[in-house]
Amino acid sequence: MYPEEQQLERAVILLNGKLLGIVLGFLFGTGLFLATNFLVLKGGPHVGAHLGLLGQFFPGYRVSFWGSIVGFLYMFVVGMIMGVVFGAVYNKIARA
Amino acid sequence: MSSISEIKPGTTSDSVQHLQDIDDSPVLLRAFAPLHSFAMGIAAGVVVSALLAIITVVLLLRGTDDAITAGSLLGQFFWGYSVSLRGIFIGLAWGFALGFVMGYGFALLRNAAVWLWLTLIRSRAEMDQYSDFLDHI
Repeated sequence: MYPEEQQLERAVILLNGKLLGIVLGFLFGTGLFLATNFLVLKGGPHVGAHLGLLGQFFPGYRVSFWGSIVGFLYMFVVGMIMGVVFGAVYNKIARA
Repeated sequence: MSSISEIKPGTTSDSVQHLQDIDDSPVLLRAFAPLHSFAMGIAAGVVVSALLAIITVVLLLRGTDDAITAGSLLGQFFWGYSVSLRGIFIGLAWGFALGFVMGYGFALLRNAAVWLWLTLIRSRAEMDQYSDFLDHI
């Protein structure tokens, strides 16, 4: 076996927690932004009755255009925290 | 024995090629190194369980009918879960189990895909290397 193959067997990927946080934040934020605006554009008698339940967790969030921006910010923060925690826990265990 | 400075362009010896391979290895390692499945599972488990516990705590603190209804919908997926103090711990357990399975499974699938890809690349390289084998006999 070549030395580089041996290195490859021992190596594991480490994650960049901040970068993962930003990526997850944008993904989650964009997801909620698009979902909210999709429901707003779709219209109907009860616009986003289920998605509106997120307002229980995110004060100020509503199924409206302004709510989609508020939701984006909330979800960005949630995704960012999740990514940073995920990266930190993963790296801690992977390095051990 | 020849030193590196003695080697003319176009006459790369095995030893120089080997040195070059080792120099390139960090880049290769970054591209092909596997994910740590167990760490991935634990990390995903911690994040999902914390998320579920926080959701339950927020709903408990709010305590409105709407909040309880919204939270109890999770009980449809997680057996035994409810918006209560007991539900926090059940949510933690379910969240960890779900996160671990998802993280571990993702890492396994990703590593298997990279391994398959590497095997394919190596097979093609070997085929290319030995394709003119009979011409040299």
